[in-house]
Amino acid sequence: MARIEAKTEVTGLVALIESKVGDRIAAGDPVMLIDSMKMQIPVLVEETGTLHQILVTVGDAVSEGQVVAILEK
Amino acid sequence: MNDQPKAPPAAGGSEADIEELRLRRAEALQLGGAEAIAKHHGQGRLTVRERIDGLVDAGSFQEVGGLTGQGRYVDGRLVGVTPAPYVMGLAAIDGRPVAVGGEDFTVRGGTSWSGDRKKGGQGGFIEDLAASYRIPLINLIDGSGGSVTSINRRGHAVFPGVHGFERSVELMGKVPVVSAVLGTAAGGPAGRAILSHWSVMVQGTSQVFAAGPPVVERSLGQKTSKEDLGGAGLAVDLAGTIDNHAATEAECFALIRRFLSYLPQNVWELPPAVASTDPVERCEDSLLRIVPDDRRRPYDMRRLVKAIVDRDSLFEIQPTFGKAVIIGLARMNGKVVGVIANNPMIYGGAMDVKAARKQTHFIELCDCFHIPLVFFVDVPGFMVGKDAEEAATLREGMRAVYVGLQASVPMFTVVVRKCYGMAGMGATDKNGIDFKIAWPSAEWGSLPIEGGVAAAFRREIAAAPDPKAREREIEAELRAGASPFRTAEAFGVEDIIDPRETRPYLCRFIDAAQGGLRTNLGPKPKYGVRP
Repeated sequence: MARIEAKTEVTGLVALIESKVGDRIAAGDPVMLIDSMKMQIPVLVEETGTLHQILVTVGDAVSEGQVVAILEK
Repeated sequence: MNDQPKAPPAAGGSEADIEELRLRRAEALQLGGAEAIAKHHGQGRLTVRERIDGLVDAGSFQEVGGLTGQGRYVDGRLVGVTPAPYVMGLAAIDGRPVAVGGEDFTVRGGTSWSGDRKKGGQGGFIEDLAASYRIPLINLIDGSGGSVTSINRRGHAVFPGVHGFERSVELMGKVPVVSAVLGTAAGGPAGRAILSHWSVMVQGTSQVFAAGPPVVERSLGQKTSKEDLGGAGLAVDLAGTIDNHAATEAECFALIRRFLSYLPQNVWELPPAVASTDPVERCEDSLLRIVPDDRRRPYDMRRLVKAIVDRDSLFEIQPTFGKAVIIGLARMNGKVVGVIANNPMIYGGAMDVKAARKQTHFIELCDCFHIPLVFFVDVPGFMVGKDAEEAATLREGMRAVYVGLQASVPMFTVVVRKCYGMAGMGATDKNGIDFKIAWPSAEWGSLPIEGGVAAAFRREIAAAPDPKAREREIEAELRAGASPFRTAEAFGVEDIIDPRETRPYLCRFIDAAQGGLRTNLGPKPKYGVRP
């Protein structure tokens, strides 16, 4: 099964995780929100897949480019 | 064994002469020979002749200098010619003439060739043709430049710039220059690629760097691969050294044709307008709901722009680099415009060092070729934080502002949401009529209210029984006063519009601006010192 990495495009704090393991997430939909620059920036998935693993929890500091969740195609 | 020819051919073009010409032309078409071509194809790359055929209008290529090369003679009789490793000439794209040339990698890896006159690369006939005829230049780059072996050949080391870049630099102010990196480009050819208005490379089969892995290992002890050092992932996405990438060479040629379709032949002409099939009065309802009420939620700025410009007309430049700003060429009622739109999905649209660099180059491109600019503004200011300061965001950001304030093409400012600080100021037409229209969702100031209240009202907030509550109260009071309608009352913003009206409103003014553009053509003088 192909592995799809969801990466945050911004540095910030994890604000809200909108999905749970096993959820089907369509390409372009958010998996979580990151608090950054006084905004809540979504982490969008690039390809449709099933959420396999969430690598962060709410309140965690994340860096630009960091993988925050793994999906399977 | 190579001998010199015994005597020049007889004058008048005898049958023997025509036969020799036929042979020489046939030799040129052989490039570096079947084996070298097969190896080149095996690496997923086209030959320079296939590239030119794939790029230009069918049948339009008139080669120049096809006879150049190293003749091989036996007893004074020509037996073959190894062509010069550069193929070039005049061609057409969408019926408009272009100068096109590229290295032939199958001959000595496309390294520099020294005849009486250079064919191309930096300087050379192809650049003279583009400059003198005022037509676009397309460089199909697939060579590694000079080689230390030339010391043996020439008997001396060449001083840098003997085949100077001065013509290449001159072209940047006169005609569109496009470079495609189609192999591994280092040294001069890499530099040539950068001296372009727009550049493109192919993922997986092309790389660009100042020097390749052997030099890097010798210099720094770092072991690296060509792809890691200068593949599209680094050169396009991370560094912005090259503007766009393509999956295949064929896609690369399609992108070049598309880019040139927005540009005039030279700075003495207007960009080509087309008859638009998209109605000026098209008002998209989706624009009414695209900006969320919650100010912390971003939205899809690309979708917003695409709903306003002529349908399918947005050609994005550097889509994977400096993503806090979206830039591209587009059309409004068939007229070419440059679009600069902040992207709230990336740090709320704050201008970071990469976005600033991208914006600076694009403003200069549009100013040079008399392309009006449309700003879709949602910028909270310059990017903040230690990383941003270390990267000199302030300096690069002010450079973008400086270049914007020097530009003399008409600019139209559409404030979609935030317009703050110096980054906001850089999105306005200070040399023109300073025309700013805003959506009702707009807000502006020297800095965002939530950032400024804590500092400006520090004592009052500290003295309050509930400091947090007092801070929120002050924010709410200020926010009411910051309504865009209040600024419109003072004519501090020229208009506030229903978002759906954006397209017809802009189209009318862009149509009207053509007269001013038409009567102000030519090269743009450059003054002053960029910060």
